[in-house]
Amino acid sequence: MLGKLTLDAIPLSQPIPLIAAAVVGLVLLGVIAWTVIAGHFPYLWREWITSVDHKRIGVMYCILALVMLIRGFSDAILMRSHMLFAYKAPGYLPPEHYDQIFSAHGVVMIFFGAMPFMIGLMNFAVPLQLGVRDVAFPTLNSVSFWLTASGALLVNVSLVVGEFARTGWWPAPPLSEATYSPGVGVDYYIWAIQISGIGTLLSGVNLVTTILKVRAPGMSYLRMPMFCWTALASNLLIVAAFPILTATLAMLALDRYLGFHFFTDSQGGNSMMFMNLFWAWGHPEVYILALPAYGVFSEVISTFSGKPLFAYRSMVMATMAIFILSFMVWLHHFFTMGPGGDVNGVFAITSMIIAVPTGVKIFDWLFTMYGGRIRFHTSMLWSLGFMLTFVVGGATGVLLAIPPADFVLHNSMFLVAHFHNVMVSAVLFGAFAGYAYWFPKAFGFRLDEWWGKVAFWFGISGFVVVFGAFYILGLLGMTRRMQHYDVADWRPWILIAGFGVVLMLVGVVAQVVQLVVSIRRRESLRDETGDPWDGRALEWATASPPPVFNFAAMPQVHGEEAYWTIKAAAREQLSLRNEPDYAPIEMPINNPTGVVCAFFATLIGFAMIWHIWWLAVLGFLGAFATFVVFAWRDKAEYEIPASEVQRINRANRTTRLEALQGVGRRRAA
Amino acid sequence: MSAADQAAERSKRHRADVAPGEAYPEEDIAKGIRGYLIGLGLAVLLTACSFAVVRMNFIWAPAIPVAVIVFAIAQMGVHLVFFLHITTGPDNTNNVLALAFGVLFVVLLIGGSVWIMANMNHNMMHSPAPAPSHAHH
Ligand code: HEM
Ligand SMILES: [Cu+2]
Repeated sequence: MLGKLTLDAIPLSQPIPLIAAAVVGLVLLGVIAWTVIAGHFPYLWREWITSVDHKRIGVMYCILALVMLIRGFSDAILMRSHMLFAYKAPGYLPPEHYDQIFSAHGVVMIFFGAMPFMIGLMNFAVPLQLGVRDVAFPTLNSVSFWLTASGALLVNVSLVVGEFARTGWWPAPPLSEATYSPGVGVDYYIWAIQISGIGTLLSGVNLVTTILKVRAPGMSYLRMPMFCWTALASNLLIVAAFPILTATLAMLALDRYLGFHFFTDSQGGNSMMFMNLFWAWGHPEVYILALPAYGVFSEVISTFSGKPLFAYRSMVMATMAIFILSFMVWLHHFFTMGPGGDVNGVFAITSMIIAVPTGVKIFDWLFTMYGGRIRFHTSMLWSLGFMLTFVVGGATGVLLAIPPADFVLHNSMFLVAHFHNVMVSAVLFGAFAGYAYWFPKAFGFRLDEWWGKVAFWFGISGFVVVFGAFYILGLLGMTRRMQHYDVADWRPWILIAGFGVVLMLVGVVAQVVQLVVSIRRRESLRDETGDPWDGRALEWATASPPPVFNFAAMPQVHGEEAYWTIKAAAREQLSLRNEPDYAPIEMPINNPTGVVCAFFATLIGFAMIWHIWWLAVLGFLGAFATFVVFAWRDKAEYEIPASEVQRINRANRTTRLEALQGVGRRRAA
Repeated sequence: MSAADQAAERSKRHRADVAPGEAYPEEDIAKGIRGYLIGLGLAVLLTACSFAVVRMNFIWAPAIPVAVIVFAIAQMGVHLVFFLHITTGPDNTNNVLALAFGVLFVVLLIGGSVWIMANMNHNMMHSPAPAPSHAHH
């Protein structure tokens, strides 16, 4: 009846995750109970959970990411504190548990921390920057988000019911085959990633379509803000690469469930094929994450330098070059696992070439700042921190791309330091920069600067200390994924890394405090004009937060930096553009298709993990029925009357006019 | 406002202001169907031809594979033009680019994988070479 699921699945022998999960679960239940009792649930359901508004979905993606980043960080704290006690001693985490922690840490950080953050920012900002009302397929967007959330849920369920994979963040055969991993850990991995992966793919299709087909009149490709370009490249990569991951994991699932032999070296399979396919997705994935972050930095640096982006076209070229090259380097992840010198040589060269367009970007950002009037807003600090630290990560990357060097450094702590150096500095710093930059647009008030700066300084110094120590540990010969050690030389550096994690923890706490403080002081942090940073792209033309329909009338774009042009003209003439003719606007109706689909997807995943076949069938039928109901709906849109559009838009115009009069007065004085 | 005014108003709005979810003007359906029928005819014809050259021996036997390949390539062309609507028209850039994108990445992935796997098999699947002399302790 319940497949492999019995009471033994609850890991009573491992109190740490159980207690942690119980605390998280209680907090979650408490929050849910509070919303229901306080009567907020109907509002949440109507306005958020079932929302098909790209801004709300974007925000929900970012919230999911923030929560999961904290989960991933807790795993990191566990690992680093364990290592403090693991010198000539077994430490406090048994090996099979330690293995689950580093695997879960990697999976959570990549798939449920970094990915949703980047997708969330793209979802939020791209339609606004393109001057349109929503993404191409709003309901599909909600489906994407909820499927991602479903995957995240499954990973967290594995804390209390069963176990997680012990294979590392890529479940490589033969270790991940049923023979060597008979438990449900790898199955949790497979189904969580399959479900969220489908969500990601759908979101990629959605954003590609949006950028290619849904733009404001006059917004030609070469007038799009840089962030839209990087979003385009990133989503094209999603469309190209995620199917590879899905297919690979499907083959692994067939191996595990039905005794196929895709990846078992006996019976005619080939385990290196898994490695090959996984990294054919895995390297593009790195750029799926990094490219949108580059876009954020471009927006932030140009805004806070008060200058247009330097050499915009070279930036576009560099983005698209990275997009293509990122699909030509994947072998550098297994230089040491069997290819000959010729193949290694070719992939070494492509890997090094990819540093060239990245270097172009760094110089473009530098020249954007050159001669500008730089304002050191938190998001600008994150961008500067990124530029300084990322060059180091890039340099060690080029070093690792030399096969002879990689033979020495592969799977050492040096490698761990390298990929954190690029991941944290590009993706996390980019996420935080974007968070601080667009927060007022999303919520109508700014984030507290003081706490933001505390978070930045502690975050970046902790980061340098931890991963600096990792680089040195790698050079001292420490390999990755070690559960204990007895080399005296390593000891000081491991202590230093532990201290660095404390610094980072202060940064994380400051980030949380910043949010709380900002919410409490929101009246004084209010963004009245909708343009708090003197921005240059169209999202700053809307009120903060923007109305559901974003723009009362489609903006007409006449050149690069669409909003800057409009603003410059307004400042020149000290008057706004003429009011548009207001017309009613049709917007898609919110609907629960996404969340219901994801509910059934979670059932399917859970059932497949525990071999509860009837439940899997039920889940599948439910998901299909949800789709049919959605496809047969007879009303898809509602109309916002012209008078309402007019009222909302006039309010925005009034604040803008006041701001302009301020400019006028200052000029007169 | 009369119905005609409303329609005019709507179409004006369509041109200036196409938000997601709003319908685009319909295309000529009959023309579309004719295109699909021609495509179907050509595709069937090419399939029949490939079977014919294999089954009936009216061409020189060693040339048969080449003929089949030629038909296969023509078949792809027919599919691209009539079913996937790849044309050279200016409104078709997206389709052409999408095709180029797909072909590029499939070639990179499959070509790369075949090359890598063959190379690794070549390197790793041999019985080990006679052990060098340092192996004796
Ligand atoms: C926030 C601070 C972070 C700390 C202190 C940290 C620390 C660690 C540690 C100690 C390991 C295990 C190294 C070993 O193999 O012994 C690890 C692995 C890993 N981390 Fe992080 N990490 C952090 C953030 C991130 C982020 C942001 C990402 C990705 C976006 C990430 C991705 C990974 C991955 C993929 C692994 C490899 C897991 C495996 O071995 O399979 N980490 N991290
Ligand atoms: Cu790579």
